[in-house]
Amino acid sequence: MTSEAKTHAIDISAMQRENRTLNLEDETTALEVKNLKLYYGDNEALHGIDMMIPKNRVTAFIGPSGCGKSTLLRCFNRMNDLVDSCRIDGQILLDDANIYDRSVDVAELRRRVGMVFQKPNPFPKSIYENVAYGLRIQGVTKKRVIDETVEWALRSAALWDEVKDRLHESALGMSGGQQQRLVIARTIAVKPEVLLLDEPASALDPISTLKIEELIHELKNDFTIVIVTHNMQQAARVSDYTAFMYMGDLIEFGVTDTLFTNPSKKQTEDYITGRYG
Amino acid sequence: MRISFKEWTKSGAPWVWLNAGAVAISMIMVVGLLILIAVRGLGHFWPADLVQATYSENGQQMKLVGELVNSEDVPADQLRDSGVDVPEGAEFMQRNLIKVGNRDVGGSDFIWVLDDFISQSSKPEMLFAAERREWGNFYGYLRSVKQDGELVASYDGYEKTAEYEVLWQDFQSRIERALVLHEQIKDIEKGDIGSINYELERIRLKERALQLKEITDQARYQELDARRAELNADYEVLQKDLTDLYTAFNRDSITAEVADGRIVEIEISKIVRAFLPNDMGLGAKIAHYAEKIVEFMTDDPREANTEGGIFPAIFGTVMMVLLMSVMVTPFGVVAAVYLREYAKQGFVTRLIRIAVNNLAGVPSIVYGVFGLGFFVYFLGGHIDDALFPEAKPAPTFGTPGLLWASLTLALLTVPVVIVATEEGLSRIPRAVREGSLALGATKAETLWKVVLPMASPAMMTGVILAIARAAGEVAPLMLVGVVKLAPSLPLDMNYPFLHLDQKFMHLGFHIYDVGFQSPNVEAARPLVYATALLLVAVIAMLNLSAIAIRNHLREKYKALEM
Repeated sequence: MTSEAKTHAIDISAMQRENRTLNLEDETTALEVKNLKLYYGDNEALHGIDMMIPKNRVTAFIGPSGCGKSTLLRCFNRMNDLVDSCRIDGQILLDDANIYDRSVDVAELRRRVGMVFQKPNPFPKSIYENVAYGLRIQGVTKKRVIDETVEWALRSAALWDEVKDRLHESALGMSGGQQQRLVIARTIAVKPEVLLLDEPASALDPISTLKIEELIHELKNDFTIVIVTHNMQQAARVSDYTAFMYMGDLIEFGVTDTLFTNPSKKQTEDYITGRYG
Repeated sequence: MRISFKEWTKSGAPWVWLNAGAVAISMIMVVGLLILIAVRGLGHFWPADLVQATYSENGQQMKLVGELVNSEDVPADQLRDSGVDVPEGAEFMQRNLIKVGNRDVGGSDFIWVLDDFISQSSKPEMLFAAERREWGNFYGYLRSVKQDGELVASYDGYEKTAEYEVLWQDFQSRIERALVLHEQIKDIEKGDIGSINYELERIRLKERALQLKEITDQARYQELDARRAELNADYEVLQKDLTDLYTAFNRDSITAEVADGRIVEIEISKIVRAFLPNDMGLGAKIAHYAEKIVEFMTDDPREANTEGGIFPAIFGTVMMVLLMSVMVTPFGVVAAVYLREYAKQGFVTRLIRIAVNNLAGVPSIVYGVFGLGFFVYFLGGHIDDALFPEAKPAPTFGTPGLLWASLTLALLTVPVVIVATEEGLSRIPRAVREGSLALGATKAETLWKVVLPMASPAMMTGVILAIARAAGEVAPLMLVGVVKLAPSLPLDMNYPFLHLDQKFMHLGFHIYDVGFQSPNVEAARPLVYATALLLVAVIAMLNLSAIAIRNHLREKYKALEM
């Protein structure tokens, strides 16, 4: 662990947000949600969400448990398809094409919109094979290409120095924080356009959490990132834009600084000042 | 300090005692069973001392030579009723079972005698025991050795002298020679002539096939005829060799004196091994014992399975179980994958699950009947019609055989594999599946690359249970392919090497056959125990190898701590 500390000291300065005024109007759209309603059986869980996710920015979803933030996130790569009773109305546009269109290849969509889950879920394979998994699925067989991509992904996930000597050992032998960064590496190895993070640090210790947050900051140059978190400090630290959701409704969406310092809705203010949730 | 009964029950102590007691009883039963069959079975191979004695019952005297097998107490009254002159005042008499051998001389090779009527019992060093290819063991005194009917050497006394020693050594070396010749004869008969017969049969079938297809091209017939002439010429040569070998094999004989003083002549070619049990030290006995155990495990049976080894039965059992596993695993896994991963969960799948579980409880003989009716007669009959019309009316697959036996057992065990695999699939964490899907893998890719490897230990558990059930099954096999004595192993050097249509021997059936269908029940009883022990050992071995594979897989795909 000492070498880890040496090669990857936590760079607090990187986490200071650059002094740049953000404005939703100026952003390019990565994903656009249009009147999205989602039902579990007869129960309406999302009540007509309208929003856009800005390209190459970090967007955070906050809100109390059960408000639908994870459900909304899982709509972006159609993970909700796996739930039998789930039904969706409305549209989500990726490059102006509805991802819920019948002609969409779901596997292809998920390659473009990658996802990292709450708990690290590496496959019971070697570290190398975990990262190479997505490439192999796509039919990449050239060893050189895979080698290069694995190294690139692990470097991007700030994991390379820690694991480069044991690439062919089981991924299950890593610590929780390392596993979560491995999962991020695995996801970015297929070069998605959008990266969905579903409470990526909630199962991790504070040091690992910090590393993940720093990583998010690094990755936003290349990817559009959407993160769900129930930790408001985290949302404030890592995101450019924040959406506050409550009971299946999008209450407020705006620049993170503004939303936290000067919320326009009463419910948002109550939540961020800790009055409920 | 006294603890009240109520407090004692409340403390849970009685439950601990009850549970521990149940475990202890189970352990004692298992260990006791193993010890019983081991002692009864393995004792059989120990060279017991030969006793010579005089036996007088109701005024009749007779001389006995044999080994003590068993003894029991019988009520004296019962003996009196059957007309035995029992001394006054006795309540129980000891009765001994003596193996006197010499079935060709005396008629039966076991007799019961009353211990009190035995006198002048001794253990002469000169008494020898011979294991023969027929008529069971022989016990007596060696008198002479003959070659081509001419006397070579002889001895008349009852004391072991140097002269006798020479005669005995001569006898032993002649047995050695005969055994070598026997081995050669067997090689030619089973190996070379067997192959020629097999090929001749194939030529006959080819010719018949040509006739059935109404091909009139004479060249093709001539080709077959030429090959047949070639084989027949080979056969003639072998047959001549064989005749010479038989002449040499039958050259020697011995004469021996049996218990009642008669002189009997025995051909050395009939003797497998001869030894002097009373003259053997502990080392010699242990060596003899080891030799007998090895013979038991590696040799073919003799004398209606009551002598010799049981190798074909071991081979048949293992072969069948392996074939069964190869068939049941893919089938069960595929069925479980569909049921768990693809089928829409609901009333129908629940119904199917109930049906599958109940299938596991159907008595095995029912599967035997189904196997005979469906596999053997229906499937086998149609395969014969379609693929082997030239062999008709003799059936090829339309008769019980290895393939059908394995398939029937596969059917019998498939519920176990389905249930175990489903269980394994349901335990794969949802997160891992989602992880794969989120990377753009399709459901099938996720299944093949992540889910199935992770579920493989559970599949192996299913296979282990299947093996445990199949290896011990006898009833259905009697209907679909097991026989008392198979002329050849289902795996040999003749194309296509693995003969799925052949009948085979099986340890479980062997136990039944030797124990209850044998003409010589007393002689066969120890073999029942020995075979049972071996069956348990074979099943344990098959299971242990499957468990080893499973543990390896478990280690490899250690489930995530979630």
